Amino acid sequence: MRIQTIGATTLASLFVAAACGGTAAPSSAPGASAATTAAQSAAASQAAPAVIKIGAVLPLTGPFNASGKYFQQGYDLATKEVNDAGGLDVGGKKYQIKLSVLDDGSNGTKSRSLVEQLVTQDKVTALLGGYDTSLVEAQQAVPDQYKIPMVEGGGAASAIFTRGNKYLFGTLATVDVLGSNTMDFLKYWIDKGKLPKPLTIAVVWENTDHGKDYQGAVEKAAKDHPDYFKVVLDQSFELNGSDFTPLLTQVKAANADAFLSDAHLPDFITMHKQYLQLGLKHKFVSYGARGPDQKGREALGAGADYLVAGVWWTPAQPDKASQDFTAKWKKAYNVTPDWFQALSYETARVMYAGISKAGSLDGTKIRDALAGIDFTGSILPGGHIKFDPTGKPLTKYVFTQNLPGNKVNLVWPQGVEGYKDAIMPLPMGQ
Amino acid sequence: MFDLNNLATLAVSALLTGGLYATMSYGLALVYGVMKIINLAHAATMMLAAFTVLTLFRAFHLDPIIGSVVILPLFLVAGMALYRVAVGRVAAVPIASLLLLFGVWLVAQNAAYLIWGSEDQSILTSYTYSTISLFGVRVAVTRIIPFVLSLVMLGALRWFLGSTDLGRAIRAVSQDKTAARLAGIHAEQTAMIAFGIGTMLSAFAGGLLTLIFSFTPDFGGTFQLKSFAIIVLGGLESFPGVLAGSLVLSSAESFSILIPGWRASLVNLLAFGLLVATLVVFPGGLASLAVHRARKTAE
Repeated sequence: MRIQTIGATTLASLFVAAACGGTAAPSSAPGASAATTAAQSAAASQAAPAVIKIGAVLPLTGPFNASGKYFQQGYDLATKEVNDAGGLDVGGKKYQIKLSVLDDGSNGTKSRSLVEQLVTQDKVTALLGGYDTSLVEAQQAVPDQYKIPMVEGGGAASAIFTRGNKYLFGTLATVDVLGSNTMDFLKYWIDKGKLPKPLTIAVVWENTDHGKDYQGAVEKAAKDHPDYFKVVLDQSFELNGSDFTPLLTQVKAANADAFLSDAHLPDFITMHKQYLQLGLKHKFVSYGARGPDQKGREALGAGADYLVAGVWWTPAQPDKASQDFTAKWKKAYNVTPDWFQALSYETARVMYAGISKAGSLDGTKIRDALAGIDFTGSILPGGHIKFDPTGKPLTKYVFTQNLPGNKVNLVWPQGVEGYKDAIMPLPMGQ
Repeated sequence: MFDLNNLATLAVSALLTGGLYATMSYGLALVYGVMKIINLAHAATMMLAAFTVLTLFRAFHLDPIIGSVVILPLFLVAGMALYRVAVGRVAAVPIASLLLLFGVWLVAQNAAYLIWGSEDQSILTSYTYSTISLFGVRVAVTRIIPFVLSLVMLGALRWFLGSTDLGRAIRAVSQDKTAARLAGIHAEQTAMIAFGIGTMLSAFAGGLLTLIFSFTPDFGGTFQLKSFAIIVLGGLESFPGVLAGSLVLSSAESFSILIPGWRASLVNLLAFGLLVATLVVFPGGLASLAVHRARKTAE
C-alpha cells in the first residue's frame, strides 16, 4: 500500500511538471510535493531559450539521395550559423532555430504527406523546400493550403511558379532564364563576329518541364531575333536514353552551327560521348547547366573541354562571399561545394532573413516580408535574392567554360568578378 | 536532309545496338526458357555487375571488358544460391516468383544506394573515344565490342545447349520437367544451374554496359523492359530469336527518326508497341513465324 502511494504521488508529480511545460526532470524523492516540482519547472522554462521550428522534407534515400544530403548539409550549416550567433532576432527577441528534416525517399506522394505532417503535427513556423523539380512540385500545394511560407532551392522548372502560389518562393533561377541567357550570350559573340549570322541552331531537349522551358526560350529568341538565330532542328528525347545515335545523326544531317541540349547528368554523359564518337563538330556546344560538374568531367575527361554551361553557382567564383562560403564548407564537410550546397545554404539564409524582417512568427507576415525582400550579401551571381510577384527568383546564372586540366573560366555576364572572354568558336568545332 | 552517309550511320547504329540489346537479353531468355518465370531481378543483376566492374576498375585498374569476365564465376554462384535459397521454392507458382524477384530487385537497389551512393558513376578508358571506319561510317570501339560479343555468346550458347550433356539436360527440363526426371535428369539441380548461367549472362551484359553508359543503382530498369519486349518478339525460348528481335527493335528505333514529325522522345513507345503487337498478332514471336514458314515450305 505504501509503495502504491509513493508510486501514485511520483506519477502525479510527473504530470504536474509536464503541465507546467518545464524541462526540469521530475523529482525522484518519494513523496515530493507537486508545488515544489511546479516551481522548479517554472524556473527552468524561464532559462530555456525560445525556439522556432523550421521543417524540410528531402530525399535522403532513393535516387536523389546524394543531392538530398547536400541540401540537408546546406540547411544545417545556415541554421548552425544563426544559432551559434545567439539565435534569430524576431521582433527584438532571440530564437534558437530547431530544424526538422524528414526523408521522403525520393517519392512525391510521401514528400507531400510529410510536409503536411510538419505543418499539422510538428507545427513548424516555416518550410524549406525539397530537391528536384518533381518533389518540389509534389510539395508546393501545402504552403498555400496552410498559409505556411516555403522557400525552395531545388526546383528549376518555371511551371512551379505558374500555379498561383502565394506562399512559395524559389531561389533557383528557372531553366527558361537559362535558355534566354544562353541566347544573349550567343548574340554577344555573333555581334563580335566570332559566330556566323544568322546562327543556325540544332536544339535537343529532355522531354520534361525542365527541357520544355529551355526549348521554349530558344524558340522565343529565334522568333524575336530572326536575323540572329535560325532553329534548323528541334527534337525532344526521353530521359535515360540508351542510344542517341539516331538523334545525333539527325543533328549531323541538320548541319547547324550550334548544338544546344538540355539534359540531366546521365544523358549528358551518354549523349556527349556518342557525339564525340560520331565525330560531330559545332562552333558552339552547350548542354544547359551540365559541363563543369565533377562527375561529368570525370566521365568525359578531355571530351568535356571547352563546353559552355550556365550554372547557378560555381566554386570558381572569385568574389569574397563565394570564397568565404567555399572555405567554410570545406572546414565543415571536408569537400569542395557545388551549386547544390550553395543554393540550399542561401535558401535557408533568405528564409531566416524573411522571418527576421517580418518581426513575427505569423505565416502571412513572413510571407509578405519574403515577397518584398531584397536579400543582399548573397553568394549567388549578382549578390542579391529577390522574388517576382509569383515567387519566381530574380537570380541570375553565371556561365562557365571548361578548359583543359580540369579548369573553369567564368565567361558571362561580362560584369561578373573574374570574367574572362570565352574561347569562341570552340576549338573542336573548327 | 539525310544523305547516304547518314543513312549508313543509322543502319550501322541499328546493327550495333541490336547486338547490345541481344547481349542484355540472353540471360532473361534462358531463365524464362527453363523455368517459365520472368526474372525481374535481371535489372538488379546488370546493375550490381556494373558496380562490381567499377569497383575492380578503381581498385585494380582492371579494364571493364576483363572485369566483366572476371566477375562471371561470382554471379554464377550467386544466381545458383538465389535459386537454391529462394526462387526454387516458389518457381512452381508464377506470381510468387515474380513478387520474389521484384523484391530481390528492390533489396539490391537499396543495398547499392547504401554501398555506392546515388551519384552517377562511369568508367573512362583509353579507348572510350576510339573509333574505326565501318562501311564508311565512323563507329565507336565501345559499341563494336558488345556486338561482337553478342555473336560469340550466341555461338557459345548454341554449342553449349546442343553439344554438352548439361546443355541437353537444360533443354530437356525446359521442354518437359516431368519427362526429364523420368529420363534420369536431376531437374531441380539443372534448373538451379540454368538460373545461375542466366544470372551470369545478365552480369556479363551489365559489365559491358559500363563501356557506354553512366549508371546509378536505378540502372537497368529501362533495359529490362526492352529485354522483355525482345524475348517476346523473338520467341520466348529461342536465342537466334532474341538476336532477331533485338535487330528488329533497334532498327525500328534507329530508322523511326526518318518519319516526318517523329519525336525521338517516343522511342520507348516503339518497344512497348512492338511487344503488344507481337502478343496480339503472333504470340510465338519471330522464331515461331520462322518455324511455321519452314514447315509450310517442307509441305
